[in-house]
Amino acid sequence: MVENRPILNFVTHAVLILGVLFLCFPVWMALVASTHGPDALSKSPIPLWFGGQGWDNYTQLLSAGLPAAGGVPIGMMMLNSLIMALVITFGKIAISIISAYAIVYFRFPFRMAFFWMIFLTLMLPVEVRILPTFDVVTKLGMLNTYAGLTIPLIASATATFLFRQFFLTIPDELVEAARIDRAGPVRFFIDILLPMSRTNIAALFIILFIYGWNQYLWPLLVTTDEALYTVVMGIQRMVNSGESLPVWHFVMGTAVLGMIPPVVVVVAMQKLFVKGLVESEK
Amino acid sequence: MATLNLNALGKTYPGGVTAASDVSAEISDGEFVVLVGPSGCGKSTILRMIAGLETITTGQLDIDGSRVNDREPGERDIAMVFQNYALYPHMSVRKNMEYGLKNEGLPKAQIAERISEAARTLRLEGYLDRKPRQLSGGQRQRVAMGRAIVRQPKVFLFDEPLSNLDAKLRTELRAELKALHHRLGATFIYVTHDQVEAMSLADRIIIMNAGRVEQIGTPMDLYLRPATRFVAEFIGSPSMNMLEGRIGADRASLSFDSAPPLSLRGDLPGVEGQRIALGVRPEHLDLAGDSAGRIDLSVRFVEQLGADTVVHGAVSGAEVPLAVRLAGVQRHETGTVLPLSYAPGNLHLFDADSGRRLEVEAG
Repeated sequence: MVENRPILNFVTHAVLILGVLFLCFPVWMALVASTHGPDALSKSPIPLWFGGQGWDNYTQLLSAGLPAAGGVPIGMMMLNSLIMALVITFGKIAISIISAYAIVYFRFPFRMAFFWMIFLTLMLPVEVRILPTFDVVTKLGMLNTYAGLTIPLIASATATFLFRQFFLTIPDELVEAARIDRAGPVRFFIDILLPMSRTNIAALFIILFIYGWNQYLWPLLVTTDEALYTVVMGIQRMVNSGESLPVWHFVMGTAVLGMIPPVVVVVAMQKLFVKGLVESEK
Repeated sequence: MATLNLNALGKTYPGGVTAASDVSAEISDGEFVVLVGPSGCGKSTILRMIAGLETITTGQLDIDGSRVNDREPGERDIAMVFQNYALYPHMSVRKNMEYGLKNEGLPKAQIAERISEAARTLRLEGYLDRKPRQLSGGQRQRVAMGRAIVRQPKVFLFDEPLSNLDAKLRTELRAELKALHHRLGATFIYVTHDQVEAMSLADRIIIMNAGRVEQIGTPMDLYLRPATRFVAEFIGSPSMNMLEGRIGADRASLSFDSAPPLSLRGDLPGVEGQRIALGVRPEHLDLAGDSAGRIDLSVRFVEQLGADTVVHGAVSGAEVPLAVRLAGVQRHETGTVLPLSYAPGNLHLFDADSGRRLEVEAG
């Protein structure tokens, strides 16, 4: 619709702005709440502007943590979340790009059978296979380890499929030119395929990092050691901290802190992502 | 620089489709050989078998006397230029040209020297640090040629390299290719579906149809003495007129199913009643000075090309299409009848069933 009528402009903008306000309000409330004292949020009216306790709240969160929630500093939890998200992201990208390479460029027996097996795992997300996976992890002695936290989440049919589809669009002549240029399979993968997949990798990085960062159910199951708690778990534990009232200002502060890394990743990678969309490399 | 020996090469795909069979040719050092034919005739398959991108199912391929059937493309000492350029999109022009040499393990100084020389030859000096997407089609194809040149291979292979370019650029690059071949003195094997390209570039043409070689010869061999009806119709534009008929009782006339017989000078080969095709090129027909023309053409439409005029029509009284190419600008109305003459030496006769050429007996 390419129309240029002032009223229409006004209406569309109004709708968009309303939508943005609607989406941003909870974030705003979290920011505001994290700068008040413990009492401000329990009585009405709820404050809509920053209070004076922001500095104190955040320093306590980052350094000491909450006694009621095990006393783990949020900084520690954030580090755990970061490690988990990054290992999952890199692991998923590495495994899926290599399997897609094998499926697209090599002729081996039962190639399609393998592809469909990978594809079928799309129907088995963590939540479905959680009991058997937990059993396996327990028997391997991986409870309360980073390995147990990440490895079961690494296999990814979606990313494999995405890379496969991308590889299929690369013209055969390019592969042939590389063969004539004496590039073996490994050379071709490193010199040609990886750099060409740069934008796809960036896009997947964003999606997978957020996926890894937001993991909740799995870390809750495999970690009982406080040193391995992640931020998302930390928030949950603060809300359910026994008999005492939820400490909303800390909860909100943790939520705000927990939002920062995904936002950083999105902002940083978006440039590469958009660049990849604009400049078509063909 | 190398000689190639194609010995009964054949390719059958696992599904049972035969793309090429029994292709034999000897290509000598420094020769410019063009493989030409309509699409699907197997010419690209042959080139890809020479390159090693396609396995050879039957026959043997020798480069410089040694069998290369089972060698990888990188080990055959060939370079190839593709129709869609096949440049590495994320590498600069320089990197694109360097890549093969780096994999060969050539010293850096030598690589740089070869690249600057190739860039000078192909007028790419100003573009070495650009990415392929920042170049025009013609420049990209020159980069692809540069990538081949720097390798200094024994054989250059070209797979329809000019087909993606516009007509003017194609003519320009054709001349450049010819000059390049002159300077390098290397063996070139070139695939195209464009007979003009084949005629203008080749020392020798291998013309293929349905996976088989129809004829191998110099462009003039093919033009003047086409071995089969297919070759006769493929080479030349507009293509050769073909009049199908039966040899008359006097063996000097051609009778049509629905037209008066055409009498020809000289004895026709073959036997009475044999079905033959009589070919004559549009440029070998001329307006007869008097009305004693040997063929009458009733005009349907006229193409004015400036240098020539191509008159399309049919043999008068028969529904056999006929075209004539006349020099200069000429006007002929639709419906008029033009008496045409030809020199007997310019006639080609083919067996209508086998398509083989029949030699006209002297007399």
